[in-house]
Amino acid sequence: MDDLPPLQKIAISGSTLASLIHRFSTTTSTSSIDGLLFGHVTYVTSLNLSDDSSETSQTLLATVTGFLASSSFRDTSGQINTSSLRRLIPNSTSLLGWFSGRRRTPLRPSLREFSITSSLSSLSQFSSSIKPSPISNSNSNPFPSSTTLSSLNFNPCLFFLLASPISDQTSHIHTHDYRAYQFLSGTHSFNPVSLDIINIGPAFRDHYGSFIPNSPFPALDCQLSYSPMVRDDDEERLSKMKQASKDQRELDACVEGLEVGKLSKLMGSEAKNYTQSLEDLYLKMLVKIENLTTLVEQSSARVLEQETHNKKLRQKIMRSAE
Amino acid sequence: MGAGTDNVPPFIAAQLSHLLSHSRLTLKVDQMWSSDKYNFGFIDRFTLLIPYCLDFIKWDIVYDAESPTTPPDVIFGPEDEHFHPFHMTPSFEPDDNIDSFLSDWNYKDPARLLALIQFLRDQYVLYQGKRVGEVDDDRLKFEVSTIVSREGLEMHMSSAADKSEEVKFAVPLLDININKMVSGCSWRQLQKIYLQVVYPVGRKYMSASSAPRLKLVSSSELKALYSIDDVKLPHWVDGMCLAEYLPNLEEYLGKQVLEAVSLIDVRRNFIEALAGWLGRPVEADPIFCRKATFLSASGVFTFLVHFLIPTQFPKQQPAIILQSSQHFNSQMAPMKSRPISDYPWSPRWEPSLMAERTCEFLADEALNFKRQCSEGQVQL
Repeated sequence: MDDLPPLQKIAISGSTLASLIHRFSTTTSTSSIDGLLFGHVTYVTSLNLSDDSSETSQTLLATVTGFLASSSFRDTSGQINTSSLRRLIPNSTSLLGWFSGRRRTPLRPSLREFSITSSLSSLSQFSSSIKPSPISNSNSNPFPSSTTLSSLNFNPCLFFLLASPISDQTSHIHTHDYRAYQFLSGTHSFNPVSLDIINIGPAFRDHYGSFIPNSPFPALDCQLSYSPMVRDDDEERLSKMKQASKDQRELDACVEGLEVGKLSKLMGSEAKNYTQSLEDLYLKMLVKIENLTTLVEQSSARVLEQETHNKKLRQKIMRSAE
Repeated sequence: MGAGTDNVPPFIAAQLSHLLSHSRLTLKVDQMWSSDKYNFGFIDRFTLLIPYCLDFIKWDIVYDAESPTTPPDVIFGPEDEHFHPFHMTPSFEPDDNIDSFLSDWNYKDPARLLALIQFLRDQYVLYQGKRVGEVDDDRLKFEVSTIVSREGLEMHMSSAADKSEEVKFAVPLLDININKMVSGCSWRQLQKIYLQVVYPVGRKYMSASSAPRLKLVSSSELKALYSIDDVKLPHWVDGMCLAEYLPNLEEYLGKQVLEAVSLIDVRRNFIEALAGWLGRPVEADPIFCRKATFLSASGVFTFLVHFLIPTQFPKQQPAIILQSSQHFNSQMAPMKSRPISDYPWSPRWEPSLMAERTCEFLADEALNFKRQCSEGQVQL
C-alpha cells in the first residue's frame, strides 16, 4: 500500500458530484449522511520535458463514477461491518472509499470519520486493481516497472467530506462545501487531494479517450430454458423462470414489434419506411422517459412529505418521553 | 443563535450540564446551534472551550438530535489535524478505547460526555508532549528532561501558519495544596500557580542562552487570597536553565503564599475589632475576610459601611464605601460614596487601634456623606 504512487487528483463528473450534493442537501430525516464511493483508479504518466532531460513520473488518478448513500456498512461507533459492506458493493464495481456529509459543521474530518476511514482503508480484501494508463498502453514501449506496479492494489482510502457552514442562517442561499482526501496508512493521516470536476469541453477531451463504461447492461436472464443439472429447488427455479419471462415481456414492450430480426430491413428498398417506424419508436420512448421523470418527481415529493412527517412524529415522541 | 437554549434535547442537556458541573477543569460552551438548515430544530451542536496549557482549545461536539443513540462526534481544532486520540502511537489496543467510549454508548447516562472529554483531553496532553519531543532542539530537549516529572505539566507546540513555531510550557509551581491551607474554602478547582515558559524554536541563529518568555499565571479564584500581579519575576541570567531558575522562584512564591494565608487571620482580627465599635457585621466574607459590611447610624441617618480589605492588608489600608439607606439617585439605586482610602492609617497599629481610628474617621465622614446625599438627591 505504501509503495503506491500518490494520488495526483480525484476526478468526478459534474453530474455525480451534483447528485451527491443534492442527496446531502435534501436529507431531512437526519442531520448527516454517509455512504460509499465507487469508481476506478488509473495510472497517469506525466511527462516533464526540459532541455536536458525528460522524466516521466507515475501518479494515480482516481475517478469517482458513482455513490451509494447508506450507512449500514458501519455501526454508530465507527466500526466497519465487512459482511454488510460486501452486500452493498455491486458486482464488478470497485470500492474507492466513502463520503460523509454533515450539516452546519466545520469542514474538517472528525474523530469518527478518521476511525472509519482508517478502518476502511486497511481492508485490503476490498481493494481494486489499478488500470494501466491509456497513454502507456498505446505506447509500443510501456514503462519497465509496469508489471510490478499493476500488481499493486488500491485500498478504499478515499474520503469525501461535505459540510455546510455553521453561520449560514440569514441567507436564502445554501452553501455546500466539499473536500476530498486520500488516507495514507503509512503516516496515518489525511492527505488533501484536489478534486477535478469533469465537464464537457475541450479541456476534458482526454477523459473521452479513457472512458470506461460503469453501468453495464443489467444482467437480465431471458433464457427460459434452464440447465437440467440444477434440479435441487423447483420452487426457486419456477420463480426465476417467471422473473425471466417478466423481464422479457418488459423488453418486448419497449421495442414494440421491432425485434432484432427486423434489423435487416434497414437495408434495401424497405429502408425508407422502416426508418420512419424507428423514429416513431424513439419518439414513443422519449414520451415514456418524460412520463417517468414526472413520476420520479412526484414520488420524491411524496418521500419528502413522509420524511417531514416522520421527523415531526419523532420530535413528538422525544418531547413526550423525557 | 435563532433558537433558544430551551430547545436542547433533554439527553444532550443532561450530559452537557453534568460535564460542566463535574469536570475538574472549568469548561465553557462557546456557542450552541442546531443542525437544522434553517436553525429551527433541536440544538445538537456546540463548541467547547477546554482549558489547556493556560489557554483554551476549541472542540466542536456534534450530536444528532434525531438519533439519540448515536454517540457524539468530535471535530478538533484546525491546528490539530494530526491529533487522532484512538490511533496514537505508541498506543494500547485502539479497539478497547473505542469500545469503552463509543460502542456501548448509553445516551441516558449523563456522565458519558464527561468521560469522553476527559479521555480525549488526557490523550491530547500525550499528543502535545509527543510533538514537543519531536522538535529538534537540544536546549529544548534538556529543559523538557528537567521538568517532565512535574505532575500536571502541560506542553503545547504552536504551529499556526502565520506564527513562528514556539513551544509553550505550563509549569505547575509549588507542590502544595493551597486549597487545604485555607480552612473552609469553597474552591471547587484546585488552585495553582503556573509559570508560562515560551521558547521560540526552529530559529537556529538565535543565541542558545537567550531567555525564554516568562509569565506567572494563577487560577483566577486565587486572587481572593493572593495576587500574582505584584510578583516581580527573578531575573533570567544568560545561560540559565529552568532547573536553576525554578527553585528560587518556588521558594519565593512558597513564602508569599504562606504569608498570604497568615494574613487571613490578621484581616479577621481587624473585622472582629471593628465589630466592637460598629456591632455585628451585616455581611462578612468568612473565608478570606476580604469584605465586611456594617450597619451604622449617625443620629437618625442610617447607612451601610462596606470595608474592602486588600490582600496586602495591613500594609495597604481597606477601602471604605458608605451607602445610604435613605437616599436614592435618579435610577432609584442607593447613594454610595466613592471608595475612601486616604484616612489615617498605620500598618504598625494593633487591630484594636486600627478599628478605633477608623471609627473616629467614620464619625466625621458620616456627616459629610449625609450632606452630600441630601444635596439634590431624591430622598424618601
